Amino acid sequence: MFGFRLSAQRPPEPRRIKDDVVMRFDHVYEVSPDKMTVFRQQDLPAWDTERIVGSRWDHLDWMHRHFADKVLGMSDLGLREDGTPAE
Amino acid sequence: MTTTAISDALYDELVGILGPDGVLVDKPARWNRTRTPAPFPVHRWRELVPDVVVLPRTTDQVAEIVRLANRTRTPVVPRAAGTGLTDGATPMRGGILLDVKRMNQIREIDLVDRTVTVQPGINMLKLNEVLQPHGVMFPDDPASYPCSMVGGRIGTSGWSLIGARYGHTRDLVCSMEVVLPTGDVIRVGEGGGRKLRKASTGYTLKPLFIGHEGTLGVVTEATLELVPRPQVEFAAFFGYHDYQTAWTSTGALAKSGFATLAGVVLFDEWKLAYLRRDDEAYIEQPDWLKSVVAVAMYGNEAEVVPAAREIMRIGRESGGTYLGDEVSQGDWAARHDRYAIPLHGRLRSGEVVPMSWHCEDAALNYSVLPQVREEWHAIADRYIREYGIFDDWGMFAYTNGAYKPWGDYLVEIDIGIWEQKLDDTNWEAWLACKREITEVTLKHGGSISACHGASREGDVEFVPTELGGGFEVMKKVKRALDPNNVMNPGKYLLDRAYQGDQEED
Repeated sequence: MFGFRLSAQRPPEPRRIKDDVVMRFDHVYEVSPDKMTVFRQQDLPAWDTERIVGSRWDHLDWMHRHFADKVLGMSDLGLREDGTPAE
Repeated sequence: MTTTAISDALYDELVGILGPDGVLVDKPARWNRTRTPAPFPVHRWRELVPDVVVLPRTTDQVAEIVRLANRTRTPVVPRAAGTGLTDGATPMRGGILLDVKRMNQIREIDLVDRTVTVQPGINMLKLNEVLQPHGVMFPDDPASYPCSMVGGRIGTSGWSLIGARYGHTRDLVCSMEVVLPTGDVIRVGEGGGRKLRKASTGYTLKPLFIGHEGTLGVVTEATLELVPRPQVEFAAFFGYHDYQTAWTSTGALAKSGFATLAGVVLFDEWKLAYLRRDDEAYIEQPDWLKSVVAVAMYGNEAEVVPAAREIMRIGRESGGTYLGDEVSQGDWAARHDRYAIPLHGRLRSGEVVPMSWHCEDAALNYSVLPQVREEWHAIADRYIREYGIFDDWGMFAYTNGAYKPWGDYLVEIDIGIWEQKLDDTNWEAWLACKREITEVTLKHGGSISACHGASREGDVEFVPTELGGGFEVMKKVKRALDPNNVMNPGKYLLDRAYQGDQEED
């Protein structure tokens, strides 16, 4: 039988970021469970969360390559990270 | 096999044209080819189902189907990807749903005269994958880019994210082969040319067959514009303390005059509140951030780099704070693919519920954006309070003019709807909300739609008002080209063209 055991890949306990937002993995935000009583939050094993987030970044990278050969950032313009002139 | 309203004789004739694998009557095939991504009256789904689905591969097959429909007075509704937001591809009278997805061939890539000729069932992303090795691109880029199709884009007169630089769908079609509602096949372009961009011979008919929502025929082939594949992409997102400053900055950026400017987008306070609540890129943004302006540029590196430096200067000097490369590049890449986002909304209590996304669009001039914003949100707020199944996801305004992106904007208010709660009462409430939004648009000199079309309930009632005498011409054109009213009947109030006819009594 194919499947997964949540207990084998149990995600870390959430830490609260804002009133309505919690975080289990760095930069992966989740709606606070307090706000998900009408529509219940699914249990996801850690590997599946990482797969979904990784796929999203892959998709965005792919979209950049699809539309142009190169994506310009501030360093390509000779500007600081905050977009202000270097000098 | 589910019982349908078509006769055995009609079914047999369709099979004779297409073969048995080209004619579908089972329930999933028919029911899945009627709804659209926008909130759909799920409680009335069965009223909008076609009787039979056909999957032609050739122009001759389409023409034969349409001639058969005329002979038997059977409605025909063309449908490509079904991603439209005005129900153009939703049958209102049953009949034949003509699905063009098997018409997905690239007929010719002409790198000398810079065109590509395709059938209507090809998707732009897949087309551009084929074009990429040749160093060219077909630059029609809707928010449904990975899933919509050329035929639907033409039928809707679609709007492109990068239209300020490259033009919108109507600017990108050199010519089209069209099966008219009688089954006759014509080619419309600039004069009689297949690959010309401008001619002055005869009436300019091409625009008539772009944006008719399937009421004037079926596009079976299109010769499209190719542009050089961009060397570089540049996106900059600026943050503002207030909407008014962001609106002023939007105007300055849009009027910068750079040919490589592909679009400028203004997000309002409600949109920021929504993003800060539910979008990973904005959750940790500071509280002072009340509005955002995004700018995108494409082209050769030698052009874009100096222009982008100037855009950064204009953004800074008009009150914007750059939000960084990660937000700018990531958010811009996500704009090409808004249909992939799993949707949920919030009740007033903050509780999460599944919601579908409706974007109510309009074309409006720059000068009226602040006032329209206030009036639209006030309308949405009243319906949210009263009915409890709606959620205001904010507004954006996007430069609308091809090559001249300064005077008018595609403006949308995004509203989440708890679709599972739709019944007659809630659906009527939604339509009433739409009508109020439309009334504001017309009061301020706008048009009901900049990109989606206006054939949907809640919009279409206002089309005669907006077009005035133009609507009378629409009716005459419809009646002249479609004497038996078989092409997508019921849409755009065009049954009025046949009032008094025996079959309409």
